[in-house]
Amino acid sequence: MTDTLLRPVPPATLTHDERSALVDSVRRLLADRCTEGDVRRIIDSDSGHDRALWRALADLGIAGLTVPEAHGGAGLAATELELVMEEAGAVLLPAPLISGAIAAALVPDLDGLAAGERIAAVAFTGRHGWAPGDTVAVAGGRITGTARFVADAAIADTILIAGDDGVFAIEAADARITPLPVFDRTRRMADVAIDAPARQVADAAAVAPARDIGVVALAGEQAGGARRMLEMTVAYARERHQFGRAIGSFQAIKHMAADLLLESESATSAARDAAQQVAERSASADAAVALAAFACADAFVRVAKDGIQMHGGIAFTWDHPAHLYLRRARSGAQLFGDSDGWRDRYLTALEAQA
Amino acid sequence: MTDDELRAEVEGWLAEHWRGLPAHHESFGRDPRSEWLGKVRDAGWAVPRWPVDRWGRGLSNEQARIVERAFAAVGAPGAGQDRSNLWANTALAHAADGFREEIVPRLLAGEVGMCLLYSEPGAGSDLAAIRTRADKVPDEEGGGWRVTGQKVWTSGAAVADYGMLIARTDWDVPKHRGISFFFLPMKQPGVEVRPLRQITDEAHFNEVFITDAFVPDDHLLGPLNGGWGVLQTALAYERSVMGDAARGPRSGAGGPKGDHSLLGLAREAGRIDDPVVRQQVAQAIAWRTLNRLNTARAKAELAQGTSSPIMSLGKLAMSRILHEEARVRTLLLGAESLLQGPDHPRAEDANFLALNAYFTSIGGGTDQIQRNIIGERVLGLPREPEVDRALPFREVRAG
Repeated sequence: MTDTLLRPVPPATLTHDERSALVDSVRRLLADRCTEGDVRRIIDSDSGHDRALWRALADLGIAGLTVPEAHGGAGLAATELELVMEEAGAVLLPAPLISGAIAAALVPDLDGLAAGERIAAVAFTGRHGWAPGDTVAVAGGRITGTARFVADAAIADTILIAGDDGVFAIEAADARITPLPVFDRTRRMADVAIDAPARQVADAAAVAPARDIGVVALAGEQAGGARRMLEMTVAYARERHQFGRAIGSFQAIKHMAADLLLESESATSAARDAAQQVAERSASADAAVALAAFACADAFVRVAKDGIQMHGGIAFTWDHPAHLYLRRARSGAQLFGDSDGWRDRYLTALEAQA
Repeated sequence: MTDDELRAEVEGWLAEHWRGLPAHHESFGRDPRSEWLGKVRDAGWAVPRWPVDRWGRGLSNEQARIVERAFAAVGAPGAGQDRSNLWANTALAHAADGFREEIVPRLLAGEVGMCLLYSEPGAGSDLAAIRTRADKVPDEEGGGWRVTGQKVWTSGAAVADYGMLIARTDWDVPKHRGISFFFLPMKQPGVEVRPLRQITDEAHFNEVFITDAFVPDDHLLGPLNGGWGVLQTALAYERSVMGDAARGPRSGAGGPKGDHSLLGLAREAGRIDDPVVRQQVAQAIAWRTLNRLNTARAKAELAQGTSSPIMSLGKLAMSRILHEEARVRTLLLGAESLLQGPDHPRAEDANFLALNAYFTSIGGGTDQIQRNIIGERVLGLPREPEVDRALPFREVRAG
């Protein structure tokens, strides 16, 4: 495995037209293969994973979007990943894209990752850990303990443990993986109990940049989810009539919608700016990533919450998709740490700049 | 002309003519920069997108930006007024031929002071409910219009030569359809300007009492009774400007400027390690940064030819930012915020900003009106039914 810091070719950013083409192709695939019905089917399944859909995404190059071309991927940058994640977030795509992007940042030549043949899950521990109760330790040539709330672990072939001592790879078959009864069934998580030889695959310096990629991907997913939830809510407010009027004509509803548009557009701006700064390795990338982390998480939660309120009773039913968005928003708001933590880190980053 | 030739021409012109400005200027009233602005106008740089026979150079948007960038690079004002000059754009679009030829070049050179005569004590958010009247003077008595009414929230009225006025010219049709748009000469008997003391104890605005004041026939802009349409283009300019910029602290004290001023104050006040304070400071800074990112994205999307819904959000966003920043400043100061006066500049700032935030959240359309606009024009939600929309204005209940 190569050192990520010696990556020979920098990730590419596309032209405006190429980006539009990429986004269009993803959107078309998802419109066809990730309808609300598909999402419900997938989340009702044991694994929460649709292998055929994952294969189709891999064929389009999405599984290895940020894997360097030399290792079979598309070699694209965080900016393109973020745009794809907006589309994925809009339709609640249940697929291990964020985990894959982090894994690609940690270990660019991870076997089978680019082709979608193998799935990687990543557990952050130590300084970049966010899940309580993690007990992973490296000593005497072995890695032992339990990593908690590891996204996609139950469907993974490889588990990467990314901590203060470096990045270690474990075959999923060598770990004891206990799926958790998660509230958001689109984002499966598991506890991973490990007792294995410590096989180091990357330096500890790779961890923070990889985590940033994960945050950018999640921020894009949240921005896309917020936008779709708002579109759905506004469309309903135009159609639903009470008191002989569309409910969207009432200022009580209209003003909420205007406020949510500000939230949703701000989330998009924050996610794209963070992606840009990460791609450019800008000096202020830390602040941009932290801002995107809490701005996008908070925006999605608020849009999903208020969106349900604006719909009224229909969105209180299981059969309406709104609750799926709120569940997704709530799980994203914990992944990689909560908004209060990110707000504090944002201020710390600004203090370092000032 | 190629981009390089244009760049060479404008840079050469600036090198030959630009020698800096007189020290101080006011944004309303006669502009001491007039001499310079006149040169810019005569060279066609003031409005490069306008046609060559209309004070411009007929340039594309991209080429006009080359001109604007060249001016910005040396700090010279006056270019790109085809995007920024509310008065000149309104007059160009709507003034009758003769008056347009007279007034537009003077507006471009800042030779005439201008003010806005829209709001009235009885017509704030419901601007179409104005009761200032303009009555036609019969042609056999010399023609023109006689105007009577009261206007409010007028900046620069005391030094203005003209006011952009909306007045009712037909009382027997619904309210939006009986309004006309005029350039009212301000320096005449019958126009009385009184300063209006604001909650900040400043007086940036005036009340204007108009009693039988005269407007020549050719000072009507747009069609008779078509003033509401003229007003909409003028208002859009004003609102977009308010989202981009707002006043900072009055005293200039209280730490470094910009995004980090709250951070500076938090340090000064010794509160930067308080986790509760950190959350609130970070969130306030975040909102300001997000607004900046939104504006930058909107501009980039417009440049790519994609229409952007974000532009209309800036003013609403800025209202929240200003109110919240003032609240956090007050939180940081604690009891010190009870004080005022020159010995307490940090308290002065916090208290001033807390009150002046309403300039943005009420002025130029309240946040509530702005939410209606976003809901209706951006999100396509239906209008609230209005009981007076179809009534002849004479029958509309007022007060």
